[in-house]
Amino acid sequence: MTRKPIILSAVALLAVGASLPGIAHHSANMFDRSQTIDLVGEVVEFQWTSPHIWIQINVENEAGVLEEWSIEGGVPNRLYRAGWRPNSFEPGDRVIIRGSPMRDGGKAALFIGAKLDDGSTLGRFE
Amino acid sequence: MRVLRTIAVFTAIAMTMATGLTRAQSADSGALPDWSGVWQMTTNTVFDQATVQPPGGNANTVGTREFPPYNEKWEAIYEANLGLVARGQFPDSITTCGTPAGFPRMMNLPAGIEFVVRPEQFWIITEDGPNVMRVYTDGRPHPAAEDRWPTYTGESVGHWEDDTLVFETISLKAHMILDRTGVVLSEQARIVTRMREIEDDLIEAHFAIDDAEALTETWHVRIQYARLPPGTRMIEFACAENNRNPVDEQGRTLTLDREGNILDQL
Repeated sequence: MTRKPIILSAVALLAVGASLPGIAHHSANMFDRSQTIDLVGEVVEFQWTSPHIWIQINVENEAGVLEEWSIEGGVPNRLYRAGWRPNSFEPGDRVIIRGSPMRDGGKAALFIGAKLDDGSTLGRFE
Repeated sequence: MRVLRTIAVFTAIAMTMATGLTRAQSADSGALPDWSGVWQMTTNTVFDQATVQPPGGNANTVGTREFPPYNEKWEAIYEANLGLVARGQFPDSITTCGTPAGFPRMMNLPAGIEFVVRPEQFWIITEDGPNVMRVYTDGRPHPAAEDRWPTYTGESVGHWEDDTLVFETISLKAHMILDRTGVVLSEQARIVTRMREIEDDLIEAHFAIDDAEALTETWHVRIQYARLPPGTRMIEFACAENNRNPVDEQGRTLTLDREGNILDQL
């Protein structure tokens, strides 16, 4: 199977920051909320935990090497009320995850939205 | 003239009795308001929406600030905190998952909150934290000065004025932040909170904050809470369960991978 390039787009969206789901427990300064990236990959693990959920995905870099990215999301209580469930992502799921990247280029992002292989979406993924 | 004075005295006595009767009836007959269910604040976590700049600003966005009536010294403290926020080094105590949010910040958290009305006590329980606060409404006074000390939720006593809960909170720890922009108060803070269901399923809390050390006048703040749909349940929040954002010695919030390795390019 041919994998799509890991980063579909890196688009400046200055308005994103104000409408991101609130991060309850720490500063989010490490993420550049004026930027978005789309990561295409396969879910390795979904951590439905406090204080934040994490989606671990393997994505292929431009050299064709798989790299694991950590996607930080909201808090289970509010996500549950927004329709998320502990099995919203499962290992092996093919996903496109949209997030705000780390300012320093680290392999992590702040979750904005996701689109699964069946076309369903979570968060903000227009 | 004597007749008028007598009427006035009887009127005053009657009003006093009526007020007392109302409170007694409320406490004894179960006529206290029904604030059951789970509530959630209707705004973002900027504590003072009335003075925030830019208007509608988010507490997580660098450059957002409020304008409490600080004196010069405490304005400088706030500005120093704003600088730490801008550098990503603001020492938000709850980031460490170790201490309570405290009062009034626990009234300014984005997740579920319960208001438990009992005749002798009023309990505030938040998902985030979690935090628990007790307000004694059984008529007791504050503990004597030698019997109290600064704590995260302080000491609160109050009473009901018809459908309005009024309580005073003292003995709060200094420098507890009220939101992530870095608003803080001193140990001299004295907060009178008035809570009332201003319309169906919408409670408003009005905080009148006096702080002889930090403020030049009473600071008035209002926060509203909407009742979530019937059947909504409170969900556990255990901050230390999987905290992948520890704070380093320089006050920076780090990001860890699932093995605990630092992802930041330090």
